[in-house]
Amino acid sequence: MIPLGAFVAVSAALFFIGVAGVLVRRNAIVILMCVELMLNATNLALVAFSRRGGIPDERGSVFVIFIFVIAAAEVAVGLAIILALYRNRPTVDVDEVHAMKG
Amino acid sequence: MSFGFIESAVFALLVIGMIGAGVGVVLLNRITGAALLMAFTFLCNAGMFVLLGAETIAAFQVLIYVGAITVLILYGVMFTPQRDRPYALFFQRQTPLAALAVVPIALFAIVAAVVSFSFRDNPDAPRGSDLVPLATSVFRDFAFPFEVASVLLLAAMVGAIVLVKREEDS
Repeated sequence: MIPLGAFVAVSAALFFIGVAGVLVRRNAIVILMCVELMLNATNLALVAFSRRGGIPDERGSVFVIFIFVIAAAEVAVGLAIILALYRNRPTVDVDEVHAMKG
Repeated sequence: MSFGFIESAVFALLVIGMIGAGVGVVLLNRITGAALLMAFTFLCNAGMFVLLGAETIAAFQVLIYVGAITVLILYGVMFTPQRDRPYALFFQRQTPLAALAVVPIALFAIVAAVVSFSFRDNPDAPRGSDLVPLATSVFRDFAFPFEVASVLLLAAMVGAIVLVKREEDS
C-alpha cells in the first residue's frame, strides 16, 4: 500500500510546478493552465487526506467537487477576459499589457 | 501473490507521467502541446484518485478536467493566434526571484510531507466504492453550498457571455 506521504509529496511537487509556471511564463493562456495544475494538486492532496488520513471521511471529496465547480467557472471567466483583451489589443502576453500600470 | 508490487509500479508510472507532463506544460514553447500535456497531467491525476479508492472523483476528473476544461483551453488557444516568441525573456527580471521563492518552499514542503505524513497513515481505510458516502455527504451535509455552487456556475456563464459579447451599435 502506497503511503499517504507519497501522495502528498506528489501533490506538493505538482503545486510548485504550477507556481513556477505562473511566475515565469508570459502567455496568459499558459498561466491559466498552470493555475489549473495547482488546483489539481490541491485536489490530489484533499482526496489523499480524505481517504487515508486518520478517520476516513468523505468531506474532503466533497470539497474536491466544489473545487471542480470553481475551476470550471475560473476557466470560463478567465478565457473570456483573455479574449476580450485580445480583441482590444492583439496580444496575450501579460508583460505587454500595461494599460493599468501606474 | 500480492498486488503491492503492481500498485507501486502503477503509482511510479503515474508520478513520472504527472510530473513530466507538468514540467512540459511550464517549459514547452508550443502552446498546443502544453495544453495537451496539461490534459495528460489531469488523466494521471485521475489514475491517482483510482489508486486512492475514490473512483467517483476520478470519473468526475475525466469528465470535467480532461473533457471540458481542456476543450475550453484549446478553444482559447485557437482564438488567439500565437506568434513565434520565446516563452520567457531570457534575462527577464522575475526568474531568479521566482526560483528563490519556489524552490526552497517546494523542497521544504515535499520533504515535510514525506516525513510527517508517513507516520499518520491509516491502513484500514475503506477500499470500497465511495459513491454512496459521497452522495450522502453532498446532498445532506452540503446541500446549501451545493446550491450556492450552482448559482456560481450560472453567474460565471452569464459573466463569460457578457465579457465576450460584441457591442453591435459601436
